Amino acid sequence: MQKTEYALELTDYRRQDFSVCLGCKICASVCTVNDVSSGTNPQEMLQRLFMGKDVAADEPLVRFCTGCYRCTGACPWEIRIPDVVRALRHVHATESPFEKAFKGSVALFGRVYEPYVLMKAVPFLLTGGYMKHMTRWMEYMGFHLPHKVKRT
Amino acid sequence: MNVLILGGGISGVSAAKVVLKEGHNAIIVENTPELGGTMARIANCRIGFKTFFDEIKDHPSLQVIRGASVTAAQRKADAFTVTLSDGKVVEAHRVIMAAGLSPYDPVEYKGKRVLTSLEYDARIDQKMGELPEDFNKIGFFLCVGSRSKEYPLCSSVCCSYTIREVKWTLQRAKPEIAVFYNDLRLFGQEFYLEKIYRDAGVRFVRANSRYFEEDEEGVTVRYFVDGVLREERFNYIVLAIGLRPNPGLKDLSALFGFSLNEYGFIAEEEPLVTDAPDVFACGGALEPMNIKDSILTGFGAGVLAVKDAELLTAAAREEGLLRDEDPPEIVMPDGDFKSCAFYLGTDDPGDAMFTEYMSARFIEAARKLNEAGKTVYIVTKNTVMPSYDEVTFEKARREGVIFINLEEGETFSASDGAIRVAGPGRDLTLAAERVISFDDYTDHFKGKEFLSVFRSEPQLRWNPTRWSRKRYHIGFLRHPRDRRWKPREVLGALGEILLDREEERLYPTVEEERCSGCGSCKDACPQKAIDIAITEKQVSIFGPISSTGIPKAHVDEDACVACGLCVSTCPSDVIKFPVEEEKHKVEECMAHLPAEKTA
Repeated sequence: MQKTEYALELTDYRRQDFSVCLGCKICASVCTVNDVSSGTNPQEMLQRLFMGKDVAADEPLVRFCTGCYRCTGACPWEIRIPDVVRALRHVHATESPFEKAFKGSVALFGRVYEPYVLMKAVPFLLTGGYMKHMTRWMEYMGFHLPHKVKRT
Repeated sequence: MNVLILGGGISGVSAAKVVLKEGHNAIIVENTPELGGTMARIANCRIGFKTFFDEIKDHPSLQVIRGASVTAAQRKADAFTVTLSDGKVVEAHRVIMAAGLSPYDPVEYKGKRVLTSLEYDARIDQKMGELPEDFNKIGFFLCVGSRSKEYPLCSSVCCSYTIREVKWTLQRAKPEIAVFYNDLRLFGQEFYLEKIYRDAGVRFVRANSRYFEEDEEGVTVRYFVDGVLREERFNYIVLAIGLRPNPGLKDLSALFGFSLNEYGFIAEEEPLVTDAPDVFACGGALEPMNIKDSILTGFGAGVLAVKDAELLTAAAREEGLLRDEDPPEIVMPDGDFKSCAFYLGTDDPGDAMFTEYMSARFIEAARKLNEAGKTVYIVTKNTVMPSYDEVTFEKARREGVIFINLEEGETFSASDGAIRVAGPGRDLTLAAERVISFDDYTDHFKGKEFLSVFRSEPQLRWNPTRWSRKRYHIGFLRHPRDRRWKPREVLGALGEILLDREEERLYPTVEEERCSGCGSCKDACPQKAIDIAITEKQVSIFGPISSTGIPKAHVDEDACVACGLCVSTCPSDVIKFPVEEEKHKVEECMAHLPAEKTA
C-alpha cells in the first residue's frame, strides 16, 4: 500500500491524473507486452493503483514493459503508463543495474558520466544486457564486411 | 426587422422559420455552395432537410446567400452593417449564429479500409438496396476524436449515428457487424434499436482499439476483452468521428464581439443568448447536439430574435401549454458507513432510456459522498453523459470516484456489505456498505407521458416539444436529461407554439351517421389522433329493448397533423377533408369569369 503511494509520488503525475482513465482498453490493444504474455491490460493496473491496491514486481507489465509509449500515443488522455511502470520498478528495486547506474550517474554528476556508468554496469551489460550478444553480433556483422575472395 | 442568420444548416433554417412566421425578413448566409450543413452530409437525412427547407424556400421575405462569408461587421444605432466576401452589404437588426459543427478528421488512422462514419455513409449511399462489394465483415469503433485530452467533450451524436448506420447496413445486406464502444450514449427509443440489433446478431463489445493493421484484403484489429487480447480480421473499419466546434467561430467572435468558451463553442450568457448585444446562438455552435435539439434551439433563437420571450412564456404558462414535472431526486444513504456503491445499469431497454438522467444524478450524488470522505464506486453498464456532461464525468473521476465498467457478459451482484463483479476475465469483490441501484428508481418513470419515450423518431424530430397542440412538453417530461436544457426547451416550445398557432389546416371530419366504427382509420393514424367513441343506444330488434354500444370514429384536432392517411384508408369514404365548401368557393370564382373562359 505504502509502496503504491510512493510509486505514484515518483511519477510526475498526481493521483487524480491517472483517474481520468475512461477504461476503454485502447492501451491494452496496442501494448507490445501482450506478445510476450497475453492478458496484459495496463488500464487494469492503473485502476488497481487508483483503488490503492499493490502491484507486484512479477507482473508481466512491470517485468517486460519496454517503455515504447505506444499506449500513451493511442490513449485518448495521453496517460504516460511507462512512467508508472518505471516508478514501480524503482519501488520494487527490480530495475536493471544499467538503469540503476544511469540514474545514479545523473544523481551524482547531474549528467550521464560514461566512466561511472560503465564501471557500475559493465559486468551486467556483458552478461545480462544486450552486450552479451556482442560477440555473435560481431560475427554477423563480419559476414557483411568486405573480405578477400579466394581466387582459383 | 432584418434578421441575419449565419449558417444554413438545420438550426439556421429552423430559426428562419420562426422569424418568417412572425413577418420579419430573414437573410441566411451560408459558407458553402449548398445549404444543409452536417445534416445534409448524412445520406438519409438529406431528404428530410430538403423537405424542411422547402416549406420556406419560396417565402418572399427570405433571402439566401450561398458561398459567402462575413468579412466585416459594424454595429451602429442598434443595427449591424455586415459586409460579405462577395461584396454585398447587408443591414441587420439581429444576428443568429448557427455556424454548426465540423467533424473531426482522423488522418492518423484513415486508410483505404479504415473509413470515417461519414465516408462510410457516402459509400453505402452509392448503391441503393445493396452494399458495395467486399463489405462482409464490418467493425464500428466509437469515440474517435472526442472524449480525449485534446477535446474533452463527448460528441453526443456519434453513438446514435453508429446505430443508424448499423440499421442502414442491415437494410441493404446482412454482413457480420461488431460495434466496439466505451459507452452507448443513445437517445430515447434508440435503446430499442440496440436491443433489436443485439437479437439480430450484431456483436456489441465494450472495449475500444487503436490497433488497425491494414493490408490489401482487410484490416487486422486487436482488442482486449474478457481478460485476453483478441485479434480479428475485418473487411472494413468504420470510425465514429467526433464533432468539434466550427473553426470559423473564432473569426465571427472577433467580428461580432461575443466570447467563446475554453472548448471553442459560443459561451452562453443566458440560454441561447451570447454576451454581445442582439447576437443569439443556436445549434451546433453551442455544443455538439443532435438534429432534434438543433431544431429546438433554432426555434428558440428565432423567438429571442423577434419576440419578447418573457411575455410569451408567461402567456403560454397561463394557457397551460407548457408541461413539466419535478424529477425524482436521489435518496442519499444515511447512517454511518464508509463505502458506497452505485449500480448504473438495467436490462430492460424501456428503462435504459432513462440512463442519461440517472447517470447525471448518480454521478452528482457520488461526488457529494466522495467529498464527505466516503469511498464511492460506480459500477456502470452504460454511462450516458453527452456533450458538456462529460466534463462533469471527468471531474468526478479526478475527484476520486471509482468507475468500474462492466464488460459484456459480466455480472454485478450485491450481498451484505460487498459488491461482486464477475465474468470470464475477472472476479472482483469490493466492500460497499450501501448499494444504490438504477432499478430502485425505475418506478418513478412509470405511468408518465414522456415525449421522447412515446413519440416515434420522425415526429419528435420535426416537433421537438409538441405532444399535441394543447401540450408542449419541456424539461423532465420532454427528455430526462441535464438541467441546462430546460430553459432552452422553454424557448424552443415557444417557437413551436408560434409556428403552430396561425397555421390554417383542414382537419378530416367524420360523417357520423354512416360511420360503422370499423377502426381502420384508428389503425392508420400515425399520431393516435383518432379514437373510437362508443355511445350507448337503445335498440330493439325482434323482442325486448336492450342497450348496445355503437362505435363512432372521432378526430382529435389537437393531435391531428392532417396527413390524410385516415381519409385514404376509410373503406366507405366516411372520413373526409371538408372540401365541399372549397368547391363552392371555386364555383363562385368561376361564375365571375368571362363566359368564353369558363367554356
